[in-house]
Amino acid sequence: MAYVSNSTSAFYDSALLNMTALRKQAEAIQAQTGTGQRLSRSSDDPVAASRLRMLERAQQFSEIDETAANRAKSDLSLADTTLSSFGDYINRIKELALQAANGTLTAEQRSSIGVEIEQIHTDLVALANTRDSVGHALFGGETTGAAYTLDAAGNAVYVGTGTSSELSLGDGQTVTSSLTGPEFLNFDVNGTATNLLAVVKSLGEALQGGVADPAAAANESLDTLSAAFASVTNAQTLVGARLSWIDLTTERRVNLSELRTTEQSAIGSTDVTEAIVRLQEITVALEAAQASFTQLASLSLFNKF
Amino acid sequence: MASDLLSIASSGAKAARTALDVTAQNIANASTDGYVKRSVTLEEVSSTSGIGRTNGVSLSGVRVSGVERNVDLFRQMEVRRTTSDAQRATTEVDGLENIEAAIEQSGVFSAIAGFESSLLQLASDPVDNSLRTAFVEDARTMAQTLNIASTSLEAAGEVMRFEANAGVNQVNVLTGELARVNLQLTRTKNGSSDQISLLDERDLLLQQLSGYANINTTIASDETVEVRLGGSGGPLLVSGKDSYTLAMDTASDGTISFTLDGSAVTFSAGSLIGHSQALEKLADVHDQLDTIAANLISVVNAAQASGVDLDGNPGQAMFTGTGAANIAIAFSDGSLVATAPAGAAADSRDDSNLTALRQALDAADPAGEMDSLIFQISSTVASRTITRDALQSIASSASLALQSQAGVDLDQEAVDLIRYQQAFQACGRAMQVATELFDTLVGIG
Repeated sequence: MAYVSNSTSAFYDSALLNMTALRKQAEAIQAQTGTGQRLSRSSDDPVAASRLRMLERAQQFSEIDETAANRAKSDLSLADTTLSSFGDYINRIKELALQAANGTLTAEQRSSIGVEIEQIHTDLVALANTRDSVGHALFGGETTGAAYTLDAAGNAVYVGTGTSSELSLGDGQTVTSSLTGPEFLNFDVNGTATNLLAVVKSLGEALQGGVADPAAAANESLDTLSAAFASVTNAQTLVGARLSWIDLTTERRVNLSELRTTEQSAIGSTDVTEAIVRLQEITVALEAAQASFTQLASLSLFNKF
Repeated sequence: MASDLLSIASSGAKAARTALDVTAQNIANASTDGYVKRSVTLEEVSSTSGIGRTNGVSLSGVRVSGVERNVDLFRQMEVRRTTSDAQRATTEVDGLENIEAAIEQSGVFSAIAGFESSLLQLASDPVDNSLRTAFVEDARTMAQTLNIASTSLEAAGEVMRFEANAGVNQVNVLTGELARVNLQLTRTKNGSSDQISLLDERDLLLQQLSGYANINTTIASDETVEVRLGGSGGPLLVSGKDSYTLAMDTASDGTISFTLDGSAVTFSAGSLIGHSQALEKLADVHDQLDTIAANLISVVNAAQASGVDLDGNPGQAMFTGTGAANIAIAFSDGSLVATAPAGAAADSRDDSNLTALRQALDAADPAGEMDSLIFQISSTVASRTITRDALQSIASSASLALQSQAGVDLDQEAVDLIRYQQAFQACGRAMQVATELFDTLVGIG
């Protein structure tokens, strides 16, 4: 006698299988809405997971680039302010030199102007040794010590390195975060190389009687000081250009970062609306399955005895 | 020979009682694992008439000729085959998921990215002590997460080998039992209830065995079973009262292989094969992890060797070890990081050696390698999961098909219960008629 029956255990087993499957789907959606993450492990979507890892890494690098950009920006702003101070001092020296060039002044009066200029020289050396945001010499290139030191004769000597350090702004872009002292303090007058600190020092000494005709020396220094002023102004223009370059790359970085965040949420986050609708759908199906299961399970001939 | 109404009725009552017993047994075992619904086969008892009485009436009632087990051999075979496949896939996916978790949750990728970030940050001010210390500490974190990943992989491998070994022992227990059942089957009468319980036991054992390895079975006329491992040409696992011992060998890389009765054996499905496949993947992943660690060690140490540290001394090796398991950081003093090129003075802010290290790391791309390793294992898990789900649903529908054919249908049993109860009552009525007839005959006298 071969017949096919619908066995009781098969009925219970299939009901269990179907309801477990629905329950699992509902729980997966619950986990997605609960964590806000579409993926709980890489194998849920290997391609998206790999992309998310790379985006996360790029974001991490971008944050460091931002720190570097901020540092370069503050260093360059500091350089800008310091250069303005240099300009102010040069103007002051020019005023003093103009006074000293006046033939009506007495030797004592010129000498006191010379003393003031000598004092300004000391200030200029200190200014040239300004420290940057982390305490290195701002105009000393890559040196860890001072940019200028005074030799035995009181002359300022550049002891920094030849170039300033470059900071990475990300994506292969870099910016030079400052200037070296010689880049703006050294300049040419009528084809002769000289530097501001030496010019100021010799002017101060000349006015104090270091030369035979201090008034003529003061008069001569006026052109040189104008050239020094032009050199400092040039340097300020350069710094301004570098600052706007940083702004440009920062803007680009912010845009890229926004794009990354958008992509991250597009591939990694749960679409809550969709998840809730799907959950509702599954819940309805599960409730229907449970209700029909209870009805069918109570349909037994044994209840009719 | 004449008929005896009373004995006919009594044979009917006995048969109905037996049928009721079998029905009750079915109801009682409705949810017993491996129980196959029994049914009673009845046979009429009649004898041919004697010489000269060819037209005589000779009826002797009914007897139970045997208890039948309603099982479809093809469906049973399908259940065994699909169980082997589903078990293989399930075990493999479980193992692969453990490997994925070991690599992913140890956080190796983010540790490598952290190390790279730290390097990038150090470039902004190579003489800053806190940045140097942060770089060394991130390098330590990276080395430690590589250690953790390696240890987790080892642990996952240990668990898999332990389970595989337990599986092998279980196979040996099951084959031993099968051999015992075979022996008992040769001693039982065909159609007896003893034989039927033994057959249930035999089929249950075969089904359990098929979870561990794919088997090929041949059933002899005396219902004993011959089991071969793998396909029909595979080596014998159980033959008559003999069973052969399965054993497992572990290779040095942690992969496993099996021997049957001393000689190497291969088969294609069952949880043992799932373990073996997952362990092969694990050995491969571990190799790749070691390669990534070894690359990191050589790139960083080479860069250290070509530069000078903060004090102007030649850089010393930053990492010790040869692979993911034993990579360790050699110093904790940040000033020993060789950021400046060889020949630079102490406290040099020249970061060209650091730039060289970054370029070397970009070329070796440990983060990219790690990402592709995670991608590789997770996409394997994803695709194998699909296969597993398919095989599992095939297996459960095969099992449902067998159950709905061979299992107990309580409604059917309820009907049988009433049917045989009525038969019993009818036989009782026949006996009553026989008594009344006798009384009538006695009354005539």
